[in-house]
Amino acid sequence: MPTIEAIFVIFIGFAGGLAVGTGFIAFLVVLGVIPRLTQLTKTMKWIHAYEWSAVLGAVVGGWMSLRNSVLYTSKYWLIPIGLFHGVFIGMLAAALTEVLNVWPILAKRIGVADKIVVLLMAIVFGKVFGSLFHWIYFIDH
Amino acid sequence: MEKTVFVKLRHRVQVKPNATVSIGDISQLIGNDRHTIERLKEIPLYRIQPSDKNIVILDVMRVVDAIVHTDASLEVQTIGPAQTIIEVIYKKRKFSLVYFLLVWLLLFIGSGMAIMNFHEDVSMQQVHQRLYTMITGEKIDKPLLLQIPYSLGLGIGMILFFNHVFRKRINEEPSPLEVEMFNYQQSLDQYVILHENKESMRRIADD
Repeated sequence: MPTIEAIFVIFIGFAGGLAVGTGFIAFLVVLGVIPRLTQLTKTMKWIHAYEWSAVLGAVVGGWMSLRNSVLYTSKYWLIPIGLFHGVFIGMLAAALTEVLNVWPILAKRIGVADKIVVLLMAIVFGKVFGSLFHWIYFIDH
Repeated sequence: MEKTVFVKLRHRVQVKPNATVSIGDISQLIGNDRHTIERLKEIPLYRIQPSDKNIVILDVMRVVDAIVHTDASLEVQTIGPAQTIIEVIYKKRKFSLVYFLLVWLLLFIGSGMAIMNFHEDVSMQQVHQRLYTMITGEKIDKPLLLQIPYSLGLGIGMILFFNHVFRKRINEEPSPLEVEMFNYQQSLDQYVILHENKESMRRIADD
């Protein structure tokens, strides 16, 4: 490949990565998952380490999926990975309903402010059940 | 100083229909002379009309006006909010179990559907199959070893975000949900204060 084309391709790749990376971080920031985690665990001073963890996670994930790396290790590693993956998506989903102001309006409209936890559980169980149903049954049909 | 009365309006007061609201109902009063204070608290300010529906706003100016009219020698100092929101409680809304169960089911099925659509939308099945291959080197159609912990984690993550499990143990800070409810109530209050209070706006066509 001539040098000029190589430089061009490198530039395009870099620009694309930059756009996706900033978008990803902006998404995380808007939903406020990291501040919520530090608040829960009272580890505000480690916030920079958390930033690096998100960045490194994105880079390693991107690298491994693009390079088709294979680790050839035990399949039981998938259990903690799946759990963390789920907690992360769950927090994103919870944060998303929050941004959309669903709860206060729902509680006001149907006047069940004191039963809101029960309604929250409806969503939680709905997600867990829907997800299990999807993977175990729905995929085959 | 001797004749000063400090007035602080309450933010929100609930009353019964057709009640008469007195100064003591909607505000705290402090002054040197206990007797005067007790007398001032009894002054009726407003009688709830059926046409008021369920929100009435009373301005602090009304309270000052009533106090000054009773005893012109008093000096009134106001502290805190400038108006009180009076909520007329008609009858306790009966809590219907059927209604509640319907909403519960709606949310349950709706969120289940939403998560399935999300999985399809981002092709999560392929991602999981790929991840399985990345870790173990084997190809598999249904990587349930990854997907079942994932599904459980989904619920844990949501509960964690709203902090309902460890509420007492971890800290006393309000959960995001409580803050959100508070903000929403604040905005509603702000709105009714401006829109239900005839004194706060003056339009050209008013006369």
